[in-house]
Amino acid sequence: MLFRKFTRRGKYALAPALTLPLAGCAKGSPWWIFDPKGVGAHASFIYMMIDVGVMLAIVGVTALLIVWFMWKYRKGSNRGAYDGKWAHSNTLEVAFWGIPIIAVGFLAWAVSVNGSFAVNPYNPTAVTKHLKPNGDPIDIDVIATDWQWLFIYPQYHHIAIANKLVIPAHTPVFFRLTSTAVTTDFFVPQLIGMIDVMPGMRTKDALMSDHLGSYQGIAADYCGAGMSWMLFKTHVVSKADFDRWTQMMENNPDTMSYQQFNRFAEPYINVHEKTPAWGRVEPGLFDHVMLEVMNGKKWPLPMFMTENMFHYLKIQAAEHRA
Amino acid sequence: MLVNVPGPWSPLLGRLALSEIPYTNPILAPLFIVIVLAGIALIAGVTYYGKWGYLWKEWFTTVDHKKLGIMYIILGLIMLFRGFIDGLMMRTQQALGDGPGDNGMKLMGAIHGYLAPFHFGQIYSAHGLIMILLAATPLLVGLMNIIVPLQIGARDMAYPYLNALGLWITTAAVFLIMISLFVGDFSHNGWFGYAPIFEMAYSPGVGVDYWIWTLELVALGTTLGSINFLATVVKMRAPGMTWGRLPVFTWTAVSANIIALTSFPCLQVALALVGADRYLGTHFFTAGFGGNLMLYTNLFWLWGHPEVYFVILPAFGMLSEVIPAFSEKPIFGYITMVLASFAIAGVSWIVWLHHFFTMGMGPYVSTEFSIATMLVGIPTGVKVFNWAFTLYRGRLTFSAAMLWSIGALFLLLIGGLTGMMLAIPAINYMVHNSVFVVAHFHMMLLCIVYAVFSAIIFWFPKIYGFKLNEVWGKIMFWLFSAGTFLVFFPMFMLGFMGETRRLDWPFNPQWGAWFDVQEIGIFVYVLSVLAFLWMLYVSIRDRHANRVHTADAWGTSRSLEWLTDTPVPFYNFAMVPHINALDEVAWRREHGFMDKKPDHFKAIHMPNNTPIALYIGALTFLVGFGLTWRVWWLTLASLILAVILMIYRSNKGDPGYIIPAEKMEEMDRESKARMLSDDSHQVPHGGGFSGGTVTAYAALDRDASGPLTPPSDSRHL
Ligand code: HEM
Ligand SMILES: [Cu+2]
Repeated sequence: MLFRKFTRRGKYALAPALTLPLAGCAKGSPWWIFDPKGVGAHASFIYMMIDVGVMLAIVGVTALLIVWFMWKYRKGSNRGAYDGKWAHSNTLEVAFWGIPIIAVGFLAWAVSVNGSFAVNPYNPTAVTKHLKPNGDPIDIDVIATDWQWLFIYPQYHHIAIANKLVIPAHTPVFFRLTSTAVTTDFFVPQLIGMIDVMPGMRTKDALMSDHLGSYQGIAADYCGAGMSWMLFKTHVVSKADFDRWTQMMENNPDTMSYQQFNRFAEPYINVHEKTPAWGRVEPGLFDHVMLEVMNGKKWPLPMFMTENMFHYLKIQAAEHRA
Repeated sequence: MLVNVPGPWSPLLGRLALSEIPYTNPILAPLFIVIVLAGIALIAGVTYYGKWGYLWKEWFTTVDHKKLGIMYIILGLIMLFRGFIDGLMMRTQQALGDGPGDNGMKLMGAIHGYLAPFHFGQIYSAHGLIMILLAATPLLVGLMNIIVPLQIGARDMAYPYLNALGLWITTAAVFLIMISLFVGDFSHNGWFGYAPIFEMAYSPGVGVDYWIWTLELVALGTTLGSINFLATVVKMRAPGMTWGRLPVFTWTAVSANIIALTSFPCLQVALALVGADRYLGTHFFTAGFGGNLMLYTNLFWLWGHPEVYFVILPAFGMLSEVIPAFSEKPIFGYITMVLASFAIAGVSWIVWLHHFFTMGMGPYVSTEFSIATMLVGIPTGVKVFNWAFTLYRGRLTFSAAMLWSIGALFLLLIGGLTGMMLAIPAINYMVHNSVFVVAHFHMMLLCIVYAVFSAIIFWFPKIYGFKLNEVWGKIMFWLFSAGTFLVFFPMFMLGFMGETRRLDWPFNPQWGAWFDVQEIGIFVYVLSVLAFLWMLYVSIRDRHANRVHTADAWGTSRSLEWLTDTPVPFYNFAMVPHINALDEVAWRREHGFMDKKPDHFKAIHMPNNTPIALYIGALTFLVGFGLTWRVWWLTLASLILAVILMIYRSNKGDPGYIIPAEKMEEMDRESKARMLSDDSHQVPHGGGFSGGTVTAYAALDRDASGPLTPPSDSRHL
């Protein structure tokens, strides 16, 4: 069984090894972290390279030293002189403390401080520095349910779409995020790092991408049985395409009130990759949901969706096949 | 006041019902039958050979730190195996389940692979909890238990009964998590749990309750142990064993147990509050009604991060014993080594926030914790440099123990490098909650496992009187290392490919090839488990040939535990030795004092065995089980009984017993004779000349006390 799968995947087997050095220029690279397409993700990537460079210099040299000593001082090899008393050297010990201190000092300033501000979710300078030249940013409200994503565009007549995100290229996008039931993480590996999405609370993040394309979005933190299926494709489209898309969405007759949202937010495993859309959701839905949750609103999971969920899964699988 | 639970409840059985037993599950049902049959066989065997009395007297009621340590290690190894099986199942699920849409195998009702999400969730949650708290921790506590008193020249721990209590409470935790396999379900919210998914509304089953009480029990057991270790090292050192002569392993035990003692209560409080939410309907960690779910994450990691250093520090100590012994040199930079241990312990307190940078606490807080985290890298770096320069100008023997230690160094380097990446928020956002983090901490935890295997091989002859088979030890090392590489190199790569952790269904087909490599790796691990078992078998079969006839089994050992007889008699040292130097055994070897006999013997004072620790352990299991299933009468009855037993024992105390000087002399002679003979059939039950008193100590107290009063250097209970 495994073997058959293996040959089926034969073509992938070598691909990763080959694409590693090309990461960054190959299109559709599977190395999402090495192939950033958003300015925040890109900044993170640069910081990672600096950090790894510095650390590898120390770790690599140490590893080589150990291997060299193992070779040189092996008993019976007679390559190195034995000194069974030698266990202390001021010079060396100062160096042993000094080297890591200098390295940590450098990394603290160069990567930790600078990086924290560059991709600070609440005000990422990597994104906000594009605010002026690139004009009007757009806002998107994100509500995570058990186990779907709802994206609301308040500036565009409150159009909304679930499990699919569409954003224009070259435009800063600002997210407000909350969740109905439990905590998870909003994450698009190639565009934007993870940010917690918590019930009864609002977090923020921002992204900007200059690369048209479609990128995988993931619910990155464990949030229950439907987590693996809580995916969303993020489409970065040209401004013209984005305008066309919002136009089309605004013409969608479906609307969503808070009551309807209540039903939408019931536990649902999105095995069918459905992406329902609404021409208009109740304005202020985001704040409404947050307020309700703070006041104790819950969307409880029934027993059959937590412990013994075989029956539920069977129904869903059947639905999927139909 | 009590929270209503979904589903039936009865006063007699609580939430227990026949339907909670997964007798239709095609994995668990056969496993259950196998375990029952094995249990019956075991009981029958013990009865047939008439060993119940022996087990009861020598093991179940013992307070001997060495035997308790051995039981801790056996417990840890069994749980290491259970956790490994969990790992095998997870790897198989991802290898089978990977692929787009409706592809892949579908077995046992799963949509992908063979495990439905809730089942997969239980497996990784149990895996994490078991590996960190019920495998690594007991293995380390067991080794500390055996070695620390020997290294400081004590006859036992400061509180032998408390020591037994710690073991049996930990065992109760093990039973609780094992029974969750067959009665009800375990939690699927990960080993550290998430707020608010562990609240009743989102986890209505008993899984989270199992998780809470298992953790509470190990936390209790470990806290008791840490008090004991600290008291032992502070109060029970042999004369001359100044702080500046303490072996590095004992130093790391001290630093680790300071962390444990101060941080475990944090976990206990956090979990008690979770329990209050679930049982009493409070709102500590709920999303609404003023609860603060972020508080849970803070409280948990306030313990969780110190905990990871609690487990790595003793492992560092083991490396610091093994590497010098096989380099035939003292450890390089003893003082910086000790300082580094305490620096690590200290800094481990102020870094917890790096486990949730993604909560979005703003750049100032993030940066502070980021830099604090990187500070840990400094003393860790110093330690690695010191080990490297211990090899320098040495005479290295690559025995199995040494190989495991050096392997641990390389894992530590990789783990440190990746830890320094995760410490930086800008990088952390991209790989937090991805399998990159999983790979990072497996490098660190495997570093511990390597150190533990190294230590077991190193100290085995001291306890059992014969060495483990070197060839099979090395074969196991290479198989295990190959498995480590095949499983975790792909895991780092998958992290860079953006695979998040805990996916029941890894949706990206491009990950598939790496999953297959990991699957191969896990089967190489299986081979290494077989090699381990074979090593044990061969070693026991050839024990006469591998018998050790000297106190110092390796001929190049350095610290005090190698001074007494092999195998170590129950009283450790016939005469408490006087310590003259750091690396006492090396010092005596150089000065020709190894074979010095004590010029006189003194009566010694030893603690009595007691079954009370075992009873209390069993009762704590019942408390945990009763709470989990909400069987209130059982909970209350067991709790009350346990408290009564504690009070009873505290009032009664233990006067201990005295072994008179003449008897000691006789036992010492016997032990010496046994060490030189080839006969290892007998259970070592006494004797051992300790190298005795070399210097002033002998002159200190010449008039041996009478047989009925405890000697002045014995412990008062
Ligand atoms: C140089 C030293 C180390 C540094 C800088 C470091 C850094 C980190 C960071 C920043 C994280 C959080 C990653 C995330 O969730 O995003 C982490 C996770 C973790 N580390 Fe380390 N670490 C170090 C050493 C260790 C050691 C010695 C251990 C223990 C054996 C360890 C065990 C863990 C564990 C168990 C987790 C993750 C727990 C979980 O999320 O399930 N680390 N480490
Ligand atoms: Cu940590």
